[in-house]
Amino acid sequence: MRAKRRVLYRGFALLVTLSLAAAGVLAGQDAAPNKEQTDDAAAFKEFAGRVDEYLKLRKTIEKQLPAMKSKEELPEMIVAHQQALARKIREARPHARPGDIFTQATREAFRHVIRSVFQDPQTATARSTIRQRDPVKGIRLQVNGIYPDAVAETTFPSTLLQKLPALPDELAYRVVGRDLVLVDKNANLVVDLFPEALPKILERLE
Amino acid sequence: MRRHIFLFLSILTVFVAGLVADEFKFPLKSDSVRFAAIGDMGTGEPPQYETAQQMLKARQTFPFDFVIMLGDNIYGGSKPVDFDRKFAVPYKPFIDAGVKFYASLGNHDNTNERFYTPFNMNGESYYTYKKGKVRFFVLNSNYMDPKQSAWLETQLRDAGNGDWKICYFHHPLYSSAKYHGPSLDLRKSLEPLFIKYGVDVVFAGHDHVYERVHPQHGIYYFTEGASGELRPGDLARSSITDKGFDTDRSFMLIEIASDDMYFQTISRTGDTVDSGVIHRTTR
Repeated sequence: MRAKRRVLYRGFALLVTLSLAAAGVLAGQDAAPNKEQTDDAAAFKEFAGRVDEYLKLRKTIEKQLPAMKSKEELPEMIVAHQQALARKIREARPHARPGDIFTQATREAFRHVIRSVFQDPQTATARSTIRQRDPVKGIRLQVNGIYPDAVAETTFPSTLLQKLPALPDELAYRVVGRDLVLVDKNANLVVDLFPEALPKILERLE
Repeated sequence: MRRHIFLFLSILTVFVAGLVADEFKFPLKSDSVRFAAIGDMGTGEPPQYETAQQMLKARQTFPFDFVIMLGDNIYGGSKPVDFDRKFAVPYKPFIDAGVKFYASLGNHDNTNERFYTPFNMNGESYYTYKKGKVRFFVLNSNYMDPKQSAWLETQLRDAGNGDWKICYFHHPLYSSAKYHGPSLDLRKSLEPLFIKYGVDVVFAGHDHVYERVHPQHGIYYFTEGASGELRPGDLARSSITDKGFDTDRSFMLIEIASDDMYFQTISRTGDTVDSGVIHRTTR
């Protein structure tokens, strides 16, 4: 009887120890980010830095142009400002190439976030947004090129926007096919490109 | 069989006669807020011009002060000539008469349209304004980033409960149209805020039809995306459709007087395709 009780006691103690150990491991996971998370955080910091650099350059350029007023703007003035800004940005970064802002490390971090959103069943709505809302495909964009004026925008899934690094008002993300595009809104200029950033699943679902 | 046909025709006659007799009339109260709603209009093609002419005719009996634009204001480019042919010319009589236009951006719009003075966006892609006892929230549904969501929540909260709250933007949260359908991702972001802060009515475009959706969580949803463009037969009327129209272009007229919103939807040819009154209950 006493031996039986001892076995039960040892079993219970082992169970408690294992539970505590498991809890400790889980708590540890919560507290310390894994390598991927650390790398992504560093990459997004780098991305923010490169965006800031672009903005500084852009500010100096915009100062050279007549200020865009929000009132009394004629279409001619709006178009002229857009074209002049695009031209001057292009002149200021003549050697801009894909990957200047979406660097290799940054791309990995973006892929992780995008994959997590598109694979999550809770955010299937993000997939449907891109598939259903006039998806823009088949246009060839270039860094320092104009985003074609007559082409509609693919609606950007808000669930994805909640997860990506926030952008300043001057810039916006756009989706063209499976590519992620960084656009200067007022200049309507392609600032950087990240080809095939979006998963193939979107194509399969077309 | 003949008796059945006769009976059917008699019922139909009474029904049609009833419709004619119950011609919709706005109260035209002195302190009311009166406006029109148009969406997906900026084609520059004859149907847009004809719809604008019908709006002008309607304004003779229903003198609205402003127009809300539900996006896709200028299709196919934004050169100066586009602004003229697709907006300034067709709506010139209204602009000359002092009618103001308040635009939202659609997926076919250049974001720089926000600087175009007649659109009254003051350089912002999302903004708010007030007319009488009605507070309007104009959103950029192309790009609902955390900043815009936070802005909307602050604005809705600060607006309190006294005024009507009307939101409008391009992509419909509810739609029975086949081509696009509802923007579910956007609904996930916006609907909780609409419910929490008591939004009364939501207007959208994008689907090139007219649809009045059965109230969802107490909120009335209208899609008016056929004031220039049209996708004939695109409406797959569903359990949420209270009224739909997809055989011609259309526009809406709205009068808000005290706690009632009167609305009438008119086709390019001048037929009333929908009308009614919404009574506001403070939530």
